[in-house]
Amino acid sequence: MSTQQPLLAVAGLGKSFGGLRAVSDVSFGVMPGEIFGIIGPNGAGKTTLFNCLSGLLPLSAGAVRLDGRRIDGMRPHDICRLGLARTFQIVRPFHGMSVLENVKVASFSRHPSSAAAEHHARLALGRIGMAHLADLDAERLSVAEMRRLEIARAIATEPRLLLLDEMLAGLTATEAAALCEQIQRINAEGITIVMVEHSVPIISQLCGNAIVLNFGELLASGTTRAVLADARVQEAYLGSALS
Amino acid sequence: MLRRFLPALVPTLLAIAGFCFSLSDPYFMEIFIMVGLIGTVAVAWNLMAGFTGLVSLGHSLFFGIGAYTVAYGQVGFGLGPLVTWPIAALLALASALFIGLLCFRYGLRGYFFSIATLAFSEVAFLLVSATLWLGRSDGMMLPSSPETLRYLQFDHKWPYGLIIVGFLALTLFLSQAFLATRPGFYWRAIRDNEGAAEALGVPAMRYKLLAFGLSAVVTAIGGAIFANTFAFVDPRSTLGVELSIQLLVFGIIGGLGLLWGPLLGAALLIPAGELLRTYLGAGFHGVNIVAYALLMIVLALLLPQGLGGVLAARLRRRAPKKQAAAGKALAVEAAP
Repeated sequence: MSTQQPLLAVAGLGKSFGGLRAVSDVSFGVMPGEIFGIIGPNGAGKTTLFNCLSGLLPLSAGAVRLDGRRIDGMRPHDICRLGLARTFQIVRPFHGMSVLENVKVASFSRHPSSAAAEHHARLALGRIGMAHLADLDAERLSVAEMRRLEIARAIATEPRLLLLDEMLAGLTATEAAALCEQIQRINAEGITIVMVEHSVPIISQLCGNAIVLNFGELLASGTTRAVLADARVQEAYLGSALS
Repeated sequence: MLRRFLPALVPTLLAIAGFCFSLSDPYFMEIFIMVGLIGTVAVAWNLMAGFTGLVSLGHSLFFGIGAYTVAYGQVGFGLGPLVTWPIAALLALASALFIGLLCFRYGLRGYFFSIATLAFSEVAFLLVSATLWLGRSDGMMLPSSPETLRYLQFDHKWPYGLIIVGFLALTLFLSQAFLATRPGFYWRAIRDNEGAAEALGVPAMRYKLLAFGLSAVVTAIGGAIFANTFAFVDPRSTLGVELSIQLLVFGIIGGLGLLWGPLLGAALLIPAGELLRTYLGAGFHGVNIVAYALLMIVLALLLPQGLGGVLAARLRRRAPKKQAAAGKALAVEAAP
């Protein structure tokens, strides 16, 4: 299987804001079917990287390929249609809508008719265990439920690749464990996942491969175990966390 | 199907009732005409402001395009509404797309978008006020003609009322058809969070232009009907900022997030303004305007969601109790 083409290939990605280099020369590949981790301290450029991948920010350098096709420079909605979906670290529900309507917005991208969109939105809510909350106003959800709503909306766009931005931050241990299980189930259903996370135990539990970012640069990449064992990684970022 | 179009059907039936009632007195009919016309234009304005989050302060531009196309079409070329109305719609669509592309391309949002639209309408106001062949600030009379139907010239006011009932019904049903399907969902998503909407596959630019274009076309038809109804157009009443502000006020007082909210605002405030003028206007000059302003302040303070918002919440409170109960039962079943 070593000849298999990566689903997501990032080559030499750079992003500057004026004179500030937020991300520079980051390259990695994500194979179809895996759960891929991105680790790094606050301000390492993880969210900027996600914003570049999903088209919310233009790149300053480099290229992004989804299944061999260049997607950098495309508008976010076009990238979404090609099969790349994302969640936001700071949840962004549509306040004026119910939970079901929130997800319906996303499923409209694949199903133009209202009835079909609603049907698939209900399916997506069911997959994430939120079917019973469908008619609630989105703004009345708890933080953990809003995170799951983010995921439900993202999978309702029927992606091949799902980018999860710090889904587990701020959740209780029970909530986090439940969400981890759901992430694994979504992955088992055929969606490749790239996740940004702070918690090292969770990354090592879920992710086969990972990269570490530090000050916008790639510090290490490879299997999660090798990456976490890397002396530079331990020194730069994890030193206290692992000891 | 019927349920889906209820927000359009109920106001339409009420408008028909209002029309029938107004047949008794030409003065009532005149008030009905203003309520129906400006109220419907406010509904179109609200498709942008209330549903897409694009607050236009320059909608008088499109109203004026409609009014002046009809007036100049008849004065200059002898053209009737059959020709001038479609031209007015096309001109308004083209202007909306031009302004929209310009504003959205450079990322104008919120107040900046509002100011930009205001600027465009003010430029049009000044241009028309200075243009000789459009009658300058004196305006233009539409010459009377014996060809009643061709130029929509009637001896009574009620046929115009009837046209406006049709205009109102068409606008409401068309808007509801958009709101209940994909465009309506996309508009509200853009209003609530444009970045998140785009990441979920919403082509925001295209759908903002759709809202703008649709809103402008309906507004221009409103202006065209205005010109035919009163056989007179002038910059102040069709292109002035007062009209744009009126739409904003009717929307806010009536309820922004509702299809029929602005219509309710117009139906309340236009007759109220007339009543105040009749009973207070004869005394101290301007007392009626002060009273009108006070009425608006009180309404805005008491009902921050608009009159329609309060009404809708009342209506909703009955239905979802059952739903919530059903939801809880489901949750209990799923728990163990």
